[in-house]
Amino acid sequence: MSGLSPRQWTGLALLAALAIALPFAFEPRGYGIRILCLALLFAAMAQAWNIVAGLANQISLGHAAFFGIGAYTSTLLLIHFGITPWLGMFAAAILGGAAALLISLPTMRLRGHYFALATLAFGEVMRVIGNSWGGLTGGPVGISVPFAQPSLALMQFRETRSSYWLMLAALVVVTLVFVAIKRSRLGYRLRAIKENADAAEVIGVDTTRTKIIAAVISGALTAALGTLYAQFQFFFDPDTVFGVASVSVRMAMIAIVGGIGTAAGPILGALFVIPLEEFANQVFSAQAAGLSQLVFGLLLILVILIEPRGFMAIGPRLQRLLRKGDRR
Amino acid sequence: MIGGVYAVISIGLTLVFGVMGIVNFAQAEFLMLGMFVAYYAWAWLGLDPLLAAPLAFVVVFLLGAAIQRVLIRRVLKAPEVAQIFLTVGLLIVLENAALLMFGSGFRSVSTPYQTSSLQLGPLFISVPYLAAFAMSVASGLALWLFLKSSWFGRAMRATAQDPMAARLMGIDADRMHMLAFALGVGLTAFGGAVILPYLTASPTVGTQFAVLMFTVVVLGGLGSVAGAVVGGLAVGIIQSLSALVFPIQLQNLVLFVVFIAVLAFRPKGMLGAAR
Amino acid sequence: MSYSLLGRGVSRRTLMLGAAGAIAAPHVIRDAAAQGKAVNVGVILPLSGANAQFGVNSRNGIELVADEINAAGGIKSLGGARINLVVADSTSTPTTAANVAQRLLSQNDVVAILGAFASSLTIAISEVTERRGVPLLTMSFSDQITGRGFENIFQVVAKASVLGKAQFDGTLAIAAAAGQKLERIAIMYEDTAYGTSQAAGLRDGAKAAGVQIVMDDAYPLGITDVTPLINKLRGSGAQAVFPVSYLNDSLQIIRAMRQQRITIPAIGGAAGYVIPDFEKGLGEFAEGVLSISPANYDLAPELTERFRKRFGYFMVHEALEHAVCMDVLAQAMEKAKSAKPDDLRRALQGARFEGGWTKAMTGGAVQFDKTGLNTLSVPVMVQWRNKELVSVWPSEFAKAKAVWAV
Repeated sequence: MSGLSPRQWTGLALLAALAIALPFAFEPRGYGIRILCLALLFAAMAQAWNIVAGLANQISLGHAAFFGIGAYTSTLLLIHFGITPWLGMFAAAILGGAAALLISLPTMRLRGHYFALATLAFGEVMRVIGNSWGGLTGGPVGISVPFAQPSLALMQFRETRSSYWLMLAALVVVTLVFVAIKRSRLGYRLRAIKENADAAEVIGVDTTRTKIIAAVISGALTAALGTLYAQFQFFFDPDTVFGVASVSVRMAMIAIVGGIGTAAGPILGALFVIPLEEFANQVFSAQAAGLSQLVFGLLLILVILIEPRGFMAIGPRLQRLLRKGDRR
Repeated sequence: MIGGVYAVISIGLTLVFGVMGIVNFAQAEFLMLGMFVAYYAWAWLGLDPLLAAPLAFVVVFLLGAAIQRVLIRRVLKAPEVAQIFLTVGLLIVLENAALLMFGSGFRSVSTPYQTSSLQLGPLFISVPYLAAFAMSVASGLALWLFLKSSWFGRAMRATAQDPMAARLMGIDADRMHMLAFALGVGLTAFGGAVILPYLTASPTVGTQFAVLMFTVVVLGGLGSVAGAVVGGLAVGIIQSLSALVFPIQLQNLVLFVVFIAVLAFRPKGMLGAAR
Repeated sequence: MSYSLLGRGVSRRTLMLGAAGAIAAPHVIRDAAAQGKAVNVGVILPLSGANAQFGVNSRNGIELVADEINAAGGIKSLGGARINLVVADSTSTPTTAANVAQRLLSQNDVVAILGAFASSLTIAISEVTERRGVPLLTMSFSDQITGRGFENIFQVVAKASVLGKAQFDGTLAIAAAAGQKLERIAIMYEDTAYGTSQAAGLRDGAKAAGVQIVMDDAYPLGITDVTPLINKLRGSGAQAVFPVSYLNDSLQIIRAMRQQRITIPAIGGAAGYVIPDFEKGLGEFAEGVLSISPANYDLAPELTERFRKRFGYFMVHEALEHAVCMDVLAQAMEKAKSAKPDDLRRALQGARFEGGWTKAMTGGAVQFDKTGLNTLSVPVMVQWRNKELVSVWPSEFAKAKAVWAV
């Protein structure tokens, strides 16, 4: 993992150049670029989820809680105090991290299904609060980011292209954090926990504390991404940003389809899932409502049955098959 | 009283976990299927939902057996993430298949007793609730008898306690898992059918019950049938009591908080490890 | 009711239209428009998810009008251009609604968008259409829609707060006519955008009239047990109850009230109370239930019976109002002699539209103000009578005298 070969560096540099130049191939305010933006955003979200789920093996079904906190924090700061979303994003990250700490303290000792259930309930708690605390959140009616002339300071752009680069940067940052954690001592400990939690405890890893640190980082990043979502969509309501299906499960599903625990997995997953979803909506939408979602469920089941490690594992698997062929 | 109904729909969930160690996130979708079976039995055959409940049980039992055979069996030894998301995938598939097959409208039956109630002093007891409760108690008793005294029941409990030993005793664990899963989802479907007289069936009705069911089983202790009964009654009481103190809007919030608290402090449920 | 795999009432023709619209390459459409043959109009509605039923009703209304216009020779000032509807599913999530709007704008070259029933979806779409300068015509009620100073949004119905206030005022008037003075009322509403904003209107109405609100409870959407609500209602001593909810909850609430022999009048807040399924679910217990509605089909039967003939059920209000949106848009095209979004916006802003389907609205016409709100629309109180909805208040629209059961 450490130290890429010159060839890999060149490949990475080419990929980066391609990613940066890509928007020029699209209509600047069009539909294609919008879908790319969402794909990048969801890739980043899945990557943030990956920190807890992929490295610490704690399957969270409540990441929407942090996402929604982020969206509401920056938007409320902007509406009431005129604070730019750039700063709002940091406030969001702090609150998101704090919320992650709050929920992790009592639940991180739980494993597997129990943890998934607890986080699911936490996400729902946040949704109910969002809906009932109307004085703060605007309640179920939702909340709009004030319309402004395009301005960098307010994170509102004339062309979707600018949002694209912002999302791309976010994805790069989250991915770097993921890779850094994976390689750090924290990552080493997390892997030890994943392999065998009891053994890790024996050799002196404070498993709960380690996992909580991972959760806080993940929650903070997810909240910051919530801000980006608010500034991209300009309107949201509690059911959208705190939604189980629309956020929590989606993030997880993207990471799993792509390859849980790997840096490239969530990116592959998002670039596959989000455009596919749009395509399905476009083709089936007026006719067989529900069909596109059905396809998603089937896809998820198939991936889990055939290759639970996702797309990332299919490449090496093919390679092995080929090599076997060579030897014979 | 509604707690009794909660108990029955949740027993299925706890049964599946107890025997196979899997939390079936799609469990509530079988409730929805049960409601639709009962609805169509009413619409086409003129059958009262209470009488259609056994039919719902049988149909969903068979479906459950098939799903266990084709899907669930394959992830029994897989990592938890695979187990969780297989059932999540199943949830998405079932809900949207229902949307395609049944349409998105809300379906409701009309029965003569629907709007009647018995008056006991100042208390009104709704007849459909009472009927649902009675049916739930009956099915709960039937399950208890089954687990207690039939060979299958004992074999199933043995598998839950120690699969290895059960195998040595000549019990086919695979068959037991299938039976448990089918029985679990069948019971939930049965519960769906008996509550149809006072609710409406729609493809999304499952989500309304999902968290409720999880709360019930977690309160009682995952995997414990007796716990599910206690949990069901407890949830019913919490719901009614919280309505007195808090706004009804926060009804679910109270449940979730209890839910998280129990998970955090008594993950084995209120009954502890009683199985 | 027959349900096919394709959902209710989807004809093969619409299927092909929709598919063609979705798949056709943009340049083909541009050419067609240049020759004055077709104008693409975007229709975004929740066709799947919890609100799908209302989305389908709305689509039926729009299709009816578009087909009639096309059959009558299209848009005459554009050389007989046909209306080509590009229908898209917003599902029930605002994110998807906005994506779909962007798609229709950049791939299908739609000149305007109609939709999207639910306020949250409409607002999400408006964030896209406002930035692209394309008119959006809607029948969503939320106050927020025309309250943000947007230039490209047109709301053909009264706002939710007005609807809620009318729900109260109408009830007060009907009760007074029957000789009862209302002093204590109960409000219960689902905690959605629609429920909360309409409840706010109800509250304002009660406050203005000095009537005491003895119960004011929101409850979670899709409540599984309404018993606590009804117990509270029983204990509150209210003389009338105002439930604001969709179908599932409305059936539960009315049934539970009947079980507990609570006979005070229930005055519904549109949505679940004014659709055929309400009567189907409750049978005889639906008789006499009052509800507010932004419009009602019995005000212009000569128009709305065409809907019943084609689709087999009465023209529910969301279908009616979407039909009006379509008709107003077509009139704007005639007036502007153009199908460019900028020209259409100018033709719509502050303008008055008469004739056609606008006759079915309570104002008998549509007059947009600066914000894009139709100032002529006032809500109407309806009552279930023998499986039909009959307008009973205000008196200028009343087709029958309201029955007030105490």
